[in-house]
Amino acid sequence: MSFTSFFDYTVNGLIIGNIYALLAVGLALIFGVSHLINFAHGSVYTVGAYIGWASITYLHTPLPVTILLVVLGSGALGMLIERVGLRPLQGAARIAPLLATIGISFVLDILVQLVFSPDPRSLPTQLPDWRLQIGTGTIGALDLLIAGIGVASAAVLFVFLRFTKLGWAVRATAQDRDAAQQMGVDVDRVNQAVFAIAAALGGLSGLLVGMYYNNISPAMSFQATLKGVVATVVGGVGNVPGAIVGSLLLGLIESYGVAILGTPYRNLFAFALLLVILVWKPNGLFGRKRALPPEPLTGTFIAPSKPWHVPPRLLIALTAAAVALPLFEPSPYLLQTLTNAWLYGALALSLTLVAGTIGQISLGHAGLLAIGAYASSLLVLDLDLPVGTGIVLAGILTSLIGTALIFPAFRLRGHYVSIATLGIGEIVALTILNWESLTHGPIGVSGIPPLSLLGRDASSNEAIYWASFGAMVLLALLQWRLLRSHLGRTFRAVREDEVAARAYGVSPDRYKALAFGFGGFAAGVSGAFTAHMYSYINHETFGSQISILALTMVILGGLGNISGALLGAVALVSLPELFRVTAEYRMLIYGIALLLLIRFRPQGLLGTV
Amino acid sequence: MPLLNRHRFLRHVAAFSAALLAAPVVAWAAPAGGEPVWFGVSGPLTGQNAQYGAQWKAGFDLALDHVNAQGGIHGRPLAYNFEDSQSDPRQSVAIAQKLVNDKRVLIELGDFSSPASMAASPIYQRAGLVQLGFTNSHPDFTKGGDYIWSPSISQADAQPLLADLAVKTLGFKRIAVLYLNTDWGRTSKEVLVKAAQERGAQLAIAEGYQADEKDFRSTLVRVRDANPDGLVLISYYPDGALIAGQVRSVGLKQPIAAVGSVYSPKFIELGGAAVNGIHTNTAFFPEEPRAEVQEFVKSFRAKYNKEPDAFNAYAYDAVVYAAAALRQAGPQADRKAVRDAFYKIKDVPSVIFGKASFDAQTRRVIGVKSVNLVVKDGKWAQIDEKAAVASSK
Repeated sequence: MSFTSFFDYTVNGLIIGNIYALLAVGLALIFGVSHLINFAHGSVYTVGAYIGWASITYLHTPLPVTILLVVLGSGALGMLIERVGLRPLQGAARIAPLLATIGISFVLDILVQLVFSPDPRSLPTQLPDWRLQIGTGTIGALDLLIAGIGVASAAVLFVFLRFTKLGWAVRATAQDRDAAQQMGVDVDRVNQAVFAIAAALGGLSGLLVGMYYNNISPAMSFQATLKGVVATVVGGVGNVPGAIVGSLLLGLIESYGVAILGTPYRNLFAFALLLVILVWKPNGLFGRKRALPPEPLTGTFIAPSKPWHVPPRLLIALTAAAVALPLFEPSPYLLQTLTNAWLYGALALSLTLVAGTIGQISLGHAGLLAIGAYASSLLVLDLDLPVGTGIVLAGILTSLIGTALIFPAFRLRGHYVSIATLGIGEIVALTILNWESLTHGPIGVSGIPPLSLLGRDASSNEAIYWASFGAMVLLALLQWRLLRSHLGRTFRAVREDEVAARAYGVSPDRYKALAFGFGGFAAGVSGAFTAHMYSYINHETFGSQISILALTMVILGGLGNISGALLGAVALVSLPELFRVTAEYRMLIYGIALLLLIRFRPQGLLGTV
Repeated sequence: MPLLNRHRFLRHVAAFSAALLAAPVVAWAAPAGGEPVWFGVSGPLTGQNAQYGAQWKAGFDLALDHVNAQGGIHGRPLAYNFEDSQSDPRQSVAIAQKLVNDKRVLIELGDFSSPASMAASPIYQRAGLVQLGFTNSHPDFTKGGDYIWSPSISQADAQPLLADLAVKTLGFKRIAVLYLNTDWGRTSKEVLVKAAQERGAQLAIAEGYQADEKDFRSTLVRVRDANPDGLVLISYYPDGALIAGQVRSVGLKQPIAAVGSVYSPKFIELGGAAVNGIHTNTAFFPEEPRAEVQEFVKSFRAKYNKEPDAFNAYAYDAVVYAAAALRQAGPQADRKAVRDAFYKIKDVPSVIFGKASFDAQTRRVIGVKSVNLVVKDGKWAQIDEKAAVASSK
């Protein structure tokens, strides 16, 4: 690579890093104060872009006025998010607000889509079109404005946190919420202020990025959240200057990744950087020297509650009913929906063990499904194995590969685990996309043989239904037996207090590996079944949205609760189908239903075990 | 451009109430009466690909007006039931079961993406309901069985025409290809590169990008270093416009040819001045004097007060083929008769193909007509063939 090109890649990396920085600053601020990854941040960014678009289109505002309107509008939205999604959940487990922000993001995205239509729109820049020659490329006025706003907002935040009363209150709240409250700090108001500032920044970055690319669409939020979170973690969560440096570094790494291996590897480099940082310096490059922030003692990240005890008779009756259902010739649509629910049930079982029982909240579980699906399809297609054998082997392979992938993240706790698993999930998807000799890349695997068990064709609706139900019940019984042994207690001990568990001679890593191993098997089997049912899979079949859906199921049912996980799976697979009659409003209703559930049953429908 | 105003809001309220009443909207037309003939649609109305679902709907409704004004299907009106799949295979298989089980549905259209469409294919095939995947160009899509048909433009037909434009008309010797890294983009790229090499050009570099990428500057530096003398984009209009907007900012001045999917008024809106001078080879061009095209364009403008694009045309055509097959199958048709009709319908008037007939072997429409266009002063214009050839010499 010539020096000129190297220079150009560097400039491009800084330009994109610049854009990530705007997002990361807001995320870092919120994390610093409320220890929350705000998954709604990308949606606020989208809303900000659309506020700008509307005010330019309808009111013909000049740039300063547009910026002002966007800042005010997004700030108000941030306050609303805090009021609706956070404040009512203060007594609940820390996992509840996380889910609430996911729900809010969902609802906001749908609202934007309904109001402004899903079509991408152009958002013309209102700046003069002069360009500065740098190397062989050019940078424009907007690049400088974005950099300026990034640096200025960091500087203003620094002064605010360092020298103002409210800033002190924010920092005090960040260090110790309860103590701050005892000293008379109005913690709610502080949170509200922080959300307003962060959201205003988020909305502003949406506006600027939209102008930069002359393109805004309701679908832009997820990618923004993802990159913002990665940049924040690289820099050190809750550290505003760190977030800026982390963003620039992320931009550079992506740009050099494209330079070295080509465009398809861009995100692979981004997530590899994330994992390296997490393993090497979990607090980020600029985190304090302290070890991980002490997870407060029991009951903050996952709060145990009084689980609702499902009477065994009811379970047996429900199982019998589910087994007998196909005999009454219900509609194939109902059977198919329930089949999907059973397959998701197996996935939820896996996640409830990993996330609930041993406390490793995973946001990359779709990666396990993908591994299982590809393993079984390729074994059956390339090695001519029988389908049943393929499914079992896929489960074992997923268990091994999944545990090996997650192994470096075992030393992490709390939110860091979620971010690491999010990264691992993305890495799995990108590996599938790029490892063409094995996976056929974007073309995908087609012609996957239909389900057959013990040499008998099982591709009819009833057969698939019974097979998936049987597999799920078997996995549930295994897990139930597992948790009734000393293992269940040990898993929970690791979840509640890793330090104490270690002091008692329990090796947390081994138990985590056990949990991921078992969970990986269940998820792999579920993915394998899915592949034989679909007959075609590619890298998009198991997207990151599925990881979030699985976590939602588990939290809704109650973490660590086996019946809860199954209930969550049935509910979340069938609700969108039940709302089908409401056409395009279906997802909105679903999102609102989700938010209401989190609001009134944060410990899950059946309670955390 | 839909405006956010009271009228639009009221429309939402009305749509919402209608939706809550769960009444599938039937497009009644005066000449056709009685019990409607139904087709089912599985496609994205929400989620990442919702914009395409919205374009489908516009095309479908227009085609229904047209079909029903001409007496519908043997005197009965044609109507459809559009189920939202978000282009997600988990939902498209459930929808497939639902449509298969609805005895009134005689044919199914969709889904949008290959993963969603092909996951549902086994269900349609087993139940014996025709799946007309009109945007599914995946080479294996129609291998799903004799009930799986696709009028989507075959890449094997379309890409050589783009290669002609790039190599023969524009005179590219070393091409750089930027393609959307999906099954469609990938298949198109393979065919295009092969066709370009047969015409004597070399491949300088090929770069695949993800659908949600927005920043292409580093990719373009890589392209620049490969020293191409022309760029070919295999993109949809949003990403095509993004790339075009960034090409000049890294100092690339080479001419650009893009695949027909960028053809949309939106391409110019999103790309602004940056898309001036971009050439494309498209099967759908509203200015084309053919009667099928002019009729479609005129009625589309009248109904929606905006310009149609390629996806509107695909959807419109798909309904026209479905109607032709349903008519061919006779007044008391069952699903099998509808499948058999696809082997028989010949020269169906089509916006995209002119006259469309399905190939019995591949179950796809063969042959594609296309025109070469260039963006000139913010408008799509047909290339004067002679001038283009002259300038490339």
